[in-house]
Amino acid sequence: MPKCKKSEGQAIDYAYKVLPPAEEVPFKEHLKNCQDCTEAVESYTAALELTDQAQAELVVPEYALRNIEMNVYKRLAASQEQTWFSRLGTYFTSVGSPFGRYKTAAVSSVAIALIVAAVLIGKPPQPEQTFQLTEMQSAEARIEEYREQGIQWNLEEALITHHLRNDAWETESQLNRMKEQAQGTSWTKVADKHLQNLQSGTLNKTQQN
Amino acid sequence: MDKLIDDEMLVAQFQAGRQNAFDELMKRYKSKIFSYLLRSVRNYEDAEDITIEVFFKAYRALENWQPKAKFSTWLYKIASNLAIDYHRAKARNPVYALDDAEIPETHLVATDIHSDPVKQLEEKERGLIIREAVDQLSPKQKAVFMLTRYEGLQLKEVAETLDMAEGTVKVHLHRAVKRLQTLLRPLWENNDI
Repeated sequence: MPKCKKSEGQAIDYAYKVLPPAEEVPFKEHLKNCQDCTEAVESYTAALELTDQAQAELVVPEYALRNIEMNVYKRLAASQEQTWFSRLGTYFTSVGSPFGRYKTAAVSSVAIALIVAAVLIGKPPQPEQTFQLTEMQSAEARIEEYREQGIQWNLEEALITHHLRNDAWETESQLNRMKEQAQGTSWTKVADKHLQNLQSGTLNKTQQN
Repeated sequence: MDKLIDDEMLVAQFQAGRQNAFDELMKRYKSKIFSYLLRSVRNYEDAEDITIEVFFKAYRALENWQPKAKFSTWLYKIASNLAIDYHRAKARNPVYALDDAEIPETHLVATDIHSDPVKQLEEKERGLIIREAVDQLSPKQKAVFMLTRYEGLQLKEVAETLDMAEGTVKVHLHRAVKRLQTLLRPLWENNDI
């Protein structure tokens, strides 16, 4: 710790490079004559350099960022769904006063009856026009979009593994994962085609050996 | 989408009903926010969860957002608040901290270094020790330190982000640097750097 308390804050600011320009020149002059502050600046600088090195090791891998958007939209869709149900609950509880002490049971019964009716009729209950799920639909569309993007990434990764590492086993695993992720889409055919190509390539290699 | 379009313009487009504008904002900031949160919480899964929460909250609030400050400052504000909440919850819940398989926060960095510096200060361990030192800062000191040091925010922007006066930001910053200097001093005093 510097004994020159007067300039301690400036020593930190100088080491941190946030010292206002107007104070920088006088402080540099001060440093020429103050051993305490010089040592303090060196010491703060050393601490900051150490933390910089350690923090630089914390790198966000590319794959960790891939699903952020899709998960945000999933979160939005889930929240919208929750809101829908809570609105439904609010709607029923708001008309619950005539039910008195049996309100909860009555509300539950009505809700169950509506769900059963909806299942039988094949149409979801729509007590209010304001329950338009545009945001949720939008979120779902985005989820699908990002899902497709994820499938494409996995395919690219599998091809990179095959071409750069020539690792047939890992490539096959990645293609199978991609196929699983692509269930219900035309991407499964793409996965099958690549799996077939991979298999024939592997067989050729085996024959050569 | 044109990279020249600034964030605030994208927000205006989103408010006008263009969903893609929000996607572009996420694309621009997901890495920065994730990195910031990773440095703060030091756990990939938690950093990812909080990043998702940041954009979720932003999406919900963006409709009424007014450009009083930069969009990025506002986004960091959400992230900082969530990170501070995370650290508070973690401090209240010791079981959670143990689950994280991390060194308890009461662990004294300097004491360990003095006890057996040669064996303990291998490269990876040293990085861990330094990050542990950063973890010993208070949530606000840590937020100020991270935002200024690694996110490149100006003191004024940090003040807006954390709802503090600029002078208070400086105070937190000074305390953070002094604390780090105290905790890490044994590393260079023992000629380990």
